[in-house]
Order: sequence, then structure tokens, then C-alpha cells
Amino acid sequence: MMDRVAGRMLEATVLERLGIALASITTAILVGLLAVTASGYNPVLFLNNLIVGSIGSERVLARTLRLSTFFVLTGVAVAIAFRAGVFNIGVQGQFIVGGICCTMSILWAAPLLPNGTVGGIVLMLLGTVAAAIGGGLYGALPGVLKAYADANEIITTIMLNFIAIGVVSWLITNPFRAEGATNVRTESLPDNVGLPPIVFGDSGFSVIGLALTLVLVAVVAVVMTRTRSGYDMVTSGYQASAAVYSGVDAKRTIVTTMTFSGAVAGIASALYVIMFQGNFIEPASIHTYGYDAIAVSLLAANNPVGVIPAGLLFGGLNSSGSYIQTYSDVPVQLIDGIVGLVIVFVAAPELFRMAAKRTGLGGDDE
Amino acid sequence: MTTGNTPPAVRLEGITKRFGDVVANDHVDFTLEAGSIHALLGENGSGKTTLMSVLYGLYDQDEGEIYIDGEPQTFDTPRDAMDAGVGMIHQHFQLVEPMTVLQNVILGHEPVTNDFGFVDEEAAREEIEAISTRYGFEVGDHLDVPIRDLDLGTRQRVEIVKSLYRGAEILVLDEPTAVLTPQEVDRLMEVMEDLRADGRSLIFISHKLDEALTIADDITVLRGGTAVGTVPASETTEQELAQMMVGREVLFDRKPRETTPGAPILEVDGLRVTGDRGLEKVSEVELSVREGEIFGIAGVQGNGQTELIEALTGLRTPDSGAVRFGGEEITEMTRRDRTEAGIAYIPEDRHTEGLVMEYDLVRNGLLGNQTIAPFVKNGFIDWEVVRDHTEEIIDEFDVQPPDADNKASSLSGGNQQKFIVGREIGHDPAVLIASHPTRGVDIGSIEFIHNRLIELRDQGLAIVVVSSKLEEIQKLSDRIAVMYEGEFIDTVDPNAVTEEEIGLLMAGQRLDETDAAETDSGVQT
Repeated sequence: MMDRVAGRMLEATVLERLGIALASITTAILVGLLAVTASGYNPVLFLNNLIVGSIGSERVLARTLRLSTFFVLTGVAVAIAFRAGVFNIGVQGQFIVGGICCTMSILWAAPLLPNGTVGGIVLMLLGTVAAAIGGGLYGALPGVLKAYADANEIITTIMLNFIAIGVVSWLITNPFRAEGATNVRTESLPDNVGLPPIVFGDSGFSVIGLALTLVLVAVVAVVMTRTRSGYDMVTSGYQASAAVYSGVDAKRTIVTTMTFSGAVAGIASALYVIMFQGNFIEPASIHTYGYDAIAVSLLAANNPVGVIPAGLLFGGLNSSGSYIQTYSDVPVQLIDGIVGLVIVFVAAPELFRMAAKRTGLGGDDE
Repeated sequence: MTTGNTPPAVRLEGITKRFGDVVANDHVDFTLEAGSIHALLGENGSGKTTLMSVLYGLYDQDEGEIYIDGEPQTFDTPRDAMDAGVGMIHQHFQLVEPMTVLQNVILGHEPVTNDFGFVDEEAAREEIEAISTRYGFEVGDHLDVPIRDLDLGTRQRVEIVKSLYRGAEILVLDEPTAVLTPQEVDRLMEVMEDLRADGRSLIFISHKLDEALTIADDITVLRGGTAVGTVPASETTEQELAQMMVGREVLFDRKPRETTPGAPILEVDGLRVTGDRGLEKVSEVELSVREGEIFGIAGVQGNGQTELIEALTGLRTPDSGAVRFGGEEITEMTRRDRTEAGIAYIPEDRHTEGLVMEYDLVRNGLLGNQTIAPFVKNGFIDWEVVRDHTEEIIDEFDVQPPDADNKASSLSGGNQQKFIVGREIGHDPAVLIASHPTRGVDIGSIEFIHNRLIELRDQGLAIVVVSSKLEEIQKLSDRIAVMYEGEFIDTVDPNAVTEEEIGLLMAGQRLDETDAAETDSGVQT
């Protein structure tokens, strides 16, 4: 029975999964509306706020897109690892390490470079590279531990998330703290660092950021489907023994995967710092993009391209959450509840699919 | 076997099972008389396993009826089938490897002490020991040993005990001999006879004709999802059965070769290899394979063949000794570099190693070739080239159904294996290492694969074949090394020894003093 259910789920096609996703989202929202009604609020107004709060004006649309870019990028970071069968739960930690590397490298290099646009572009490139290296190395660490010391990556990456928060928090409270700042944060980035919004006003969102996000997703998709390294990683994820048979160095592939995943998480953080934050703040108070990214990736069946709509959905829901919190008396927890329902309805089946595969249930008939 | 008014243990009437457009069983009738052994023969993909899965409640039939002991039954789940006294020993054992024998046997049927629901291990222990003693199983001595520490033969007996513990009167054994050594096969046959003597009814799924003829009372042959016929085992021959299975005549004989081998290309000196559990599995092995030669390695599974092959292919690093390829030392070379150098490898297990079951054939066509031009250039895969190559393999090796977009898991075992063979010899290797090249493969495909291997040998390829099937080793090899406890205890000329003699060597002669001590004349060379 279990075998049959698992087998059925392993066989679902892309189209079926898309259908499942849409049905799940609808169901999640309907159940959410029931909860809203039961709590004594007006469901029609709530639904209205849900839409207005995510796409109702230029300002909220910019916020939705800004949040979406972060969800998409961190989601892609998770998807890379999950595709390769490595459970990187440490994207949040890699995001934080990448972010502080980006911020500090820009702050340190800024005095050495001219003030103009050219200097700004060089600084942003430098910051992005620093973030990718920082995030990549912080991802490589649990990769090495898994490959060469047999340490379960789920546990090590979660623990490294706490270590990242602790260490970076100490750094920006002490040596890296901005002089005279009232709250805990680094110095602000110089004025020539930042992405021009172009379409939207001063909203912490830039169309350039969105474009770069889409380019990065495309690059990851190409790497995963059309390069030898991607084939090695995905094959390891599907069937590690077959990958080894084909000449893939399993240990090195684990490290490569984690480095790649961590580097993308670092780049997500570079965008967060450069496009939106402008400095680096207490890491514990940064939204948990890296954890939500797990749900985003699962929602997308760990497909890098599928992460785009999944990230938009999460961006929209989070944006609506802020709106509803500000403009209505419905508690924000209800929004979190709906996000949770979406995860349960959509991502959980995907999680079971992966668990079924890991335990070898289903799909094994000759 | 039939006694006047005893209803048959199992009667299947007009069973039809479709998967999409594929008809796996087409109105199959099947009758298992009570207290008899009935062999179900057929090539892989002929629908044997599907039919039994219907009987065991794993699949719902689209049409047809199931009668157990004359009563009509509907099985929605295996649990229903078990409750009706049907037990199944799957080809891939359904055991939880880290758990002990006792835990595995009682899993899902735990006896409970009292109202608190504690598991009554003592009661279970006694019952299992009673079953084991009755059939002379040593399982009773291993009750607290984790499954992963047992060899395959013992695991299979655990499966049988598990079914008996659950009260099975009708046992379905799905290709039970596929993983066993000849000696273990004999043991299994005895067990099956004992079970029959006890009044139980058995269905024995196989594609091995001799085994079916030896053990079964009746034989039903399936081909392409339909029952071709049922014959009493005493009134048929291997030739007739083979013809029924394949639908045409099959040749079994060894053809004399017309070419002579060339220079040695793969050589091994003083090789020592440690296995997964830290034990030395290969001890001081020497071998030399020449171009245009098939070097067969016979032996009971678990005597170091796997580790030796892994050392040859680069999947395991030896402790000492040297592997040389074309005169060059390659002992430390990775699998990847060896593939590129021209050492192709047909792996032991096509489900876990040779194919990615979730991939279509195109993506499987790249497996192992992912650094080789023209498939991959500068790290980028040219999927068009890979697809063309895959279609060539499908065409040349008669892979059915001939569609490159099919998932590997949707193909039958024989077709999967033909695809792997095609892929591995596709880029003109100098050495081919074939581990159990026809395990679990139907007769038609075996013939095809064997002929290809012989053709390749005649073209100058050096081939190492590991197999536990004596008949295969004897048919293919120019020289046969028999491996026992990590050593080649002898290397023999296939034309000068009998199967029995090799069998004795495989049993390690020296240990088995009573039977073998006197019969070694003419075997040792």
C-alpha cells in the first residue's frame, strides 16, 4: 500500500505536479479564509487585502518583487543541493556569512577606489564575489564534513546556522559596529553602491536586481541540465551508486554541490545588502529567507526554474502579510498560517516523494 | 497431486492487468493444485511478476477472478492475501537491514504479552525456532543478528520463515535462485520439497529451465503476458520449454572458436583488497587477460569477486599488488580515468549501478560517458549527440520498446541489460569487464548478449566475465579461474572440465572433505 502510494507520487509528471501545486494553493487559501471567518473577521476583506497587499500598488508590487528575488535566489540555492541529494538546511547561515563578507569587503575597499559609477560597479562586483566565496566556503564546510567525516549534513548545517548568527552578531556588535549608530549595524555602504530602481521609486527594489536574479536562475538551470558537473550532481542525487559507477567522485561531488549551493546563497545575500539593506544588521533579525527557501524549493519540486513562480508566491504572501498587519486588525499570524498551509499542501507531498526515494520505496517494479 | 475433491490451492481465471497501453497479463488462467509445486516460467517482461503481484494484492487486476482453496477472493492489499494464507518471497528481499532476524520476522505481526501491548519476544522466539528446526534452517541460531550481516542465502530463508510465521499455506517464490550459489540452490530445493511434503503449495517463478524441471510438478509458461501452456514436468524437455518461452528454437551449445588470443593487456600481480567490513576479500590474486580472450571467473558469490572487479575497474583501492593495463601500471587510477583509457564495465547490479532508474534512456546513455567527446565538450553536454548515440544502441541491441524517451525503470530486465551492454561497448574499449552480464535476464536476451560478447572477443577485445552461472562461464570462457575465499584456487580449461568439477572447486574442495577429497583428480592443473 505504502509502496503503491509512494510509487504513484514518484511518477507524477511535471504537468500533474503543476496542477497539484495550483490546487494546493487554492485549497490552502480557502482553508485560510475559513480560519479567518471562524476568527470573526471578514473573509472578503481579507482576500481583498491579500491581493491589494501584494500587487495593489506600485509600492507593494515593488516590495513583493523585492522579497521574491530573495526567495527565488535562496530557493535556487536549496534546489541545487536537494537535486543532488544533499540536504542543505544551512542556506540561512550561508546567506548571513555571504552578506557580512559582501558588506565588509565593500566597506574596506571603498577608500581605495574612485567615488563615481565605475568605482561603484567595481565595489558591487567585489562584494558579490566576496559573498559568493564566503557563502560557498561556509557551505563547503558541512560538505567536507559529510564527505570525509560522514557527518549528517542536516544536523551540521542547522548548527552552522546558529554559529553564523552568533559570530556575525558578535562581529557587528563589536569590531564592525558603525560609530555612533544607535542600533546594531555596520557602517552604511558608500553612496555609489546600490542599484537604481529605474521603474519603481525608492523602494529597495531594482529591476536590475530582478534581471540579475533571472539571469542567475538561468545559469543554474543550464549548469544543472547541460553541463557535465550538473549531470554528475543530479545523477548523484537520483542514484548515488550509479553516479559512482559512472566515474563520479562521490565525495568531491558532495563538496562541489554544497559550495555551489552556498555560493548562490551568498549571492542572494549580496543582492540583499546592495539592493535593499545598504548595510548589515543583527543577523537574528533578518527574515529567515534561508529556511523559507526550503519550502520554496520543495514547492518547485527542486526545479531551479520552478523556483521562480514559487518565489513569487512567497514574496506575494509575505508582502500581503506586512500590508494586512499595517492596514487591518487581522493578526499577521493568520497570514503565516496560510503560508504554512501552502507548505503543508504543496511542499509536503514533494517531501514525501524525496523521503520515499531515499528509503527506496515505490517505483521499483520490473 | 490432485486428490479427488480437494479444490486447487490457487485458481486464477482470466486475469488481465494493463499498465496504460501495455497489457502485462492478457486473460491468464493458472491453477496451483494443493500440495504441489508449480513453476511459472517466462522471460523477463513476460508478466510472471505482475501475475503474482495480482495474486498477492499488490496490483488490482482489471479483469479476472482469484480463487483460494476454491473460494473467490479479492485482495486489496498484501495483508488481505496474507490473511488468506498467501505468502510471497520477493526477488528483492523485503527485509529491514539494520534490524535483527527476530524483529524482521515478527514485523507487523508482533505477538503481544498483555493489555499493555508489549511485544512478547519470548513467544515469538520459540515459534520461530520451532519453524527453523522443522525445516532444518540455521535461522534459529541467528535470531539476534542484524540482517545486513547475513549472506543472501540465509536472508532468503529468513524471508521463508517470515511467511511461515505468518501462517502462509501458499508460498510464492519470485526467482528465488537468482542470487544463490549452486549449493544454496540445492538447499532451497530441499526446503521446497519439505514444504510440499508438509502439505503446502508453492509457486516457483523462474526463467531457469533446469530448475523448473527438477523441482516442479507442473510448469506453466508465460510469453508476452499470455499463458502459452501448462505441462507436467515429467512430460516435457528443456528444448520444448525453451521453445515455448522464446517462441522459436534456442541453441545452447558452445561453438568452437576460430581466432587465437593476442598479447596480454590486463594483468594483475599479488593483489590484496579489503572489503567493506574490513576483512581481506582478495588475497594474492594474479591474472593475465589477453586481447581476444574471454577470461571467466567462477565462484560462489561473496568469495571476493566483487572486490576484485572493483579493484580492476577503479572503484576500490587495493591494499597491495599491481594492476597493469597495456603494460602501464593503473593501480591508483580512478574509475573515470580508466573509462577514458578504454576499460569498460558492465556492473553487477543494473538497478543500482548500471542505470539511473528515474532517467530516460537518453540520459542513461550519457552515464559513464560524461567526460568523453563528442558527448561532452568543454564541460557542456551535447544532448543531440547523446540522443543519436542512444538511438543507435537501442537499434543495434534490439532494446524493446525502442523509444529513447522511456524511463529505464519501465524496461524489462533483459532490455535494461542489453542497453547497458550496448552502451559499455559503444566507445570501442580495449578491455570489457562484465560482472554477471546476464543475471536475471531472459533466455532470448542471454543468447543475444553471449553472441555479442563472443563476436567482440573475435574482434580482439579482452573480456573478463564474472558469473555464478556455471553454464554461462563454461560457454563463454577461454579460461576459467575459480575463486574461493579470495584466491584463485585453480584455473581450468573449460573444454577439459565438467560442471560438477567446477562446482566442487567453487565449494572450496579442501573444506568439504567428505564429498570432494577423492574427486579432485583431473581438475587440478
